[in-house]
Amino acid sequence: MKEFWQRFARNRGAVVGLVILIGVIFLALFGPALYPESPWRMTAPPFQPPLEHPGAYFGTDTLGRDIAAGLVHGARVSMLVGLVSTTVALGIGVALGAMAGYFGGVVDNAIMRFVEFFQTIPSVVLAIVLVAVLQPSIESIVIAIAIVSWPPVARLVRGEFLSLRSREFVEAAVIAGQSNARIIFSQILPNTLSPIIVMASLMVATAILLESAISFLGLGDRNLMSWGYMIGAARTVLREAWWMSVFPGVAILLTVLSLNLVGEGLNDALNPRLARKGR
Amino acid sequence: MAILEFVGRRLFWAIFVILGIVILNFILLRLAPGDPAAIMAGQSGATDPEYIAQLRVQFGLDQPLYMQLLTYIRDVAMLDLGMSGRQQVPVIDLIARRLPATLLLTITAYFLSLGLGVLLGVLAARRVGKWQDSVITVLALLAYATPLFWIGLMLILLFSVTLGWLPAYGMRTTGAGLTGMAYVLDILHHLILPMVTLGLFYMAVYARLARASMLEVADQDYIKTAVAKGLPDGRVTRAHMLRNAVLPVISFAGFQAGHLVGGAVLVETVFAWPGIGRLAFDALLQRDYNVLLGVFLFTAIMVIIFNIITDIIYTLVDPRIEVGR
Amino acid sequence: MFRRAAFMASAAAVIGVAASAYADEPKRGGQLSAIINPEPPILMLGLNQQGPTQAVAGKIYQSLLTYDFDLNPMPSLAREWEVADDGLTYTFHLQEGVTWHDGEAFTAADAVFSLDEFLPETHPRWRQLYRNVASIDAPDDHTLVIELEEPFPAFIMAFETASAPMIPKHLYEGTDYRDNEWNQTPIGTGPFKFEEWNRGSSIHLVRNDDYWKDGKPYLDEIYFEVIPDAASRVTALETQRVHMSRGEDIEFFDVPRVAQLDHLEVTTQGWEMFAPHAWLEFNVREEPISDKRFRQAVMHAIDREFILNNIFFGSGNVATGPISSSTLFYDDNVPEYEYDPDRARELLDEMGLEPDGNGVRTELRLLPIPYGEAWDRLGEYVRQQLIEVGIQTDLEAADAGTWAERVANWDYDMTFNYLYQYGDPAIGVSRSYISDNIQRGTLFTNTMGYENEEVDRLFEEAAREIDPERRQELYTEVQQILVEEVPVGWLIELEFPTIYDVRFENLVTTAIGTNETYDDVYIAE
Repeated sequence: MKEFWQRFARNRGAVVGLVILIGVIFLALFGPALYPESPWRMTAPPFQPPLEHPGAYFGTDTLGRDIAAGLVHGARVSMLVGLVSTTVALGIGVALGAMAGYFGGVVDNAIMRFVEFFQTIPSVVLAIVLVAVLQPSIESIVIAIAIVSWPPVARLVRGEFLSLRSREFVEAAVIAGQSNARIIFSQILPNTLSPIIVMASLMVATAILLESAISFLGLGDRNLMSWGYMIGAARTVLREAWWMSVFPGVAILLTVLSLNLVGEGLNDALNPRLARKGR
Repeated sequence: MAILEFVGRRLFWAIFVILGIVILNFILLRLAPGDPAAIMAGQSGATDPEYIAQLRVQFGLDQPLYMQLLTYIRDVAMLDLGMSGRQQVPVIDLIARRLPATLLLTITAYFLSLGLGVLLGVLAARRVGKWQDSVITVLALLAYATPLFWIGLMLILLFSVTLGWLPAYGMRTTGAGLTGMAYVLDILHHLILPMVTLGLFYMAVYARLARASMLEVADQDYIKTAVAKGLPDGRVTRAHMLRNAVLPVISFAGFQAGHLVGGAVLVETVFAWPGIGRLAFDALLQRDYNVLLGVFLFTAIMVIIFNIITDIIYTLVDPRIEVGR
Repeated sequence: MFRRAAFMASAAAVIGVAASAYADEPKRGGQLSAIINPEPPILMLGLNQQGPTQAVAGKIYQSLLTYDFDLNPMPSLAREWEVADDGLTYTFHLQEGVTWHDGEAFTAADAVFSLDEFLPETHPRWRQLYRNVASIDAPDDHTLVIELEEPFPAFIMAFETASAPMIPKHLYEGTDYRDNEWNQTPIGTGPFKFEEWNRGSSIHLVRNDDYWKDGKPYLDEIYFEVIPDAASRVTALETQRVHMSRGEDIEFFDVPRVAQLDHLEVTTQGWEMFAPHAWLEFNVREEPISDKRFRQAVMHAIDREFILNNIFFGSGNVATGPISSSTLFYDDNVPEYEYDPDRARELLDEMGLEPDGNGVRTELRLLPIPYGEAWDRLGEYVRQQLIEVGIQTDLEAADAGTWAERVANWDYDMTFNYLYQYGDPAIGVSRSYISDNIQRGTLFTNTMGYENEEVDRLFEEAAREIDPERRQELYTEVQQILVEEVPVGWLIELEFPTIYDVRFENLVTTAIGTNETYDDVYIAE
């Protein structure tokens, strides 16, 4: 563990990312205590630039709602959408991809047909259709994002498994009579972790971005203040009120950035050891 | 021969995939509340039950659902995608009119992102830890972390509104009566912003993937052996690393075909690009079932072809994988 | 009639423009590029009357009359007309020398076909009006006589282009109207002919060289450009790629900024015929909404001045009641609902809706109308204002399909809507409040389920009354009753801006605004 941390800490970007990420998570967990009032409340005159109106340090939006309150409450929504949908998508994708790549043959064929099935429908379009069919709400958005995000994971894991399946160390384990489950979990899966981690970090980001795209197209949850919603609502006043879209944009950017940096740090910390241990 | 057989088998499967997609989407769309008759009536400012009933008959919505599905599958089998209920135009015409715009946008964006992305990724991996790596990594991270439509709006703000260099929307200058070379240049002029917007995001993805897998491969023993054998750095990159590093990129690029169409919905919305992404979104909001099904069918076929090509390339790059397994 | 001073002032401003138009001779030539959004599904005006369809097809098709800003009828395809003293016989004398775009002559037979056969089958609004009709005849090629069953003075308001477009008999008679191939290449009598439609991109109309008004139109061609994104639409105007926007093309908050640009001009005239009236619609079948005190409380909880200024950015007036101030028979002598949250709380207390520990008195759903940014903001604002007085409100997002389905089938607690009034309360106002018009599955009926016998009686009597003074008395009474009862919460009389390039003259000259034929439009140098 100590060694892991040392490796992780060697990547300075990762440490910065971790600090930011902890900040965002802290905001998501305890932020609403800082701004206990609803972020939808109109607390100041509309269109106040940052630092203009006392109390509204980040400015106000078209109706006089405090951007800062929106940012704080939005952290929770965006993180929730990102994490929950990614977790679900990873679960489905890794399980199916591993089975396909490991067992090959009929199983692989069946699973890949299933994957293909989902991938032949453009994911953003499918997500939008799903949200429209299920009625726009936070739950339907999470479900839709998860449903469209798992196929790339399955493909990636399958590719890795296919490639690793014919390696000597796996052949050796098969000859040694290890069970399939044991080979999958202790031999192959650890070796696929780093690309999965990289991809997961990208996926959380994609989920947050996809949520904002859904809001942009007017299908977001109207009761929750999310960063995606804030940009969606601000995009038409881009020129009149830059702060309305810049701050939530920066919030998304920082969160996504931190996730990626942390993912890379993990990659650095995990990769060399595991790659060697497998052989 | 093995490849031909493989392609044949895949195409055979593709028919079932497509049939499945038709049925799934058909059912999915009918689960959405509202129908095209109600919407059209709603937008007319005044309606009565007769008007809605007439529209339903006209759209074929008065038939039982399973009959509508069977009719649709039969028509599709005979390469007839039906009529757009709303616009009273064959769906195939609508798609044919919109498809070139989307193909132009997505294919150029695809090659832009793939080419530049892999290039940047490899460059970053070769210069790992140096400033080039940092710059590329930071730029990729930023491009990746910014919403697509937001980049589009920012580019419009800069290049159209402030600088006035590039058109803000559309695909051609309407009413200019351009022909020949001037016409092509006009379209290219309009293409730049949407292409960059759509390509930027995926370029970042490829750069990251290429860099990550290059580094991964570089760490493996056979590369170390190659370096130890004294092969020059450049040859190691080309011969050994690139081939292996490109695998995850290809794996990703294959499914990106579908993704691009999704991204195209957003980009086409921001730039008023008259493609099928926007057609699909409008059709969804208007519940113009046949149009949406037609678009799904088309993109499905496109993606299937892309996937088969990807798998073939995959085999060529990594001989350890046998096709069709 | 009963108009506002502010309205008169803006009318004067446009008359100024018109005066300057006469100063220099209109020039032939040039092209107009206008935004069209959303893209019309079809341009056959007899089959589809959506706003964008009207704007484009209004250049192709014509009707018998048009209307000035005060809603006085003016000639179009009818050069003169008389209404008999008993209010039953309408005689129209048609223009001579009018031809369809394919060269055939337009005669009274076409008018009879349109009004007596085509439109009653396809046009829901005409079908309502047609119920009053006993017979339609053409005694000669240029005379049209319509007999009514009973007096219906609003009938004279029913002849603008979209309400009663003239359809070519020789192309449509005996065919399946909806399947007719001419629907794709519409043929009318208007100053512009259909040329080409690049779906998703643009619609191209060209000058009709055989137009029946000599020397007109002035323009050579009109392009309607389809631009689905609001921000792109503003940019198109700013960068002078297009010359005109209409309706809700430009988001309300952009209007004040765009209005300041030197090359652009803004007018809110040209909507007097439609008078879009926005309201918060209550499903009065539901508890506690069925109690009028609850609806009054909601009215007091909402600051409509704030909505006008911060959501619609001043594009309109606060609505006082069911009839818009630009519609005939408006009366502002009605009860007022000041913004007063305390009064709202009092009313709710009075009803026995006491707040619980979290300050929540009751829970309701609000289904916003998916028609753009301003309407989204309106939903968020109203939700928050209701929460402030203890009405916990859940916003339900919906796309156009969902919204239409749910409102038509009464599956909502509160929603927004806006309806056109078409000049006369008997056409565009009474339909929302009379109990006869409670029809499940149909939008723009009395979807809220409001029933009041007195209101039914007053609207019916007013619709049949020929004497304008007596009509005014009846409509004043019904306005007072309705405002007291609040069957819907009237919010704003919307004024949609037409934003146009200053070089263009006569883009808005009548009460139907940008739906006009544009045979008078020219480019001044």
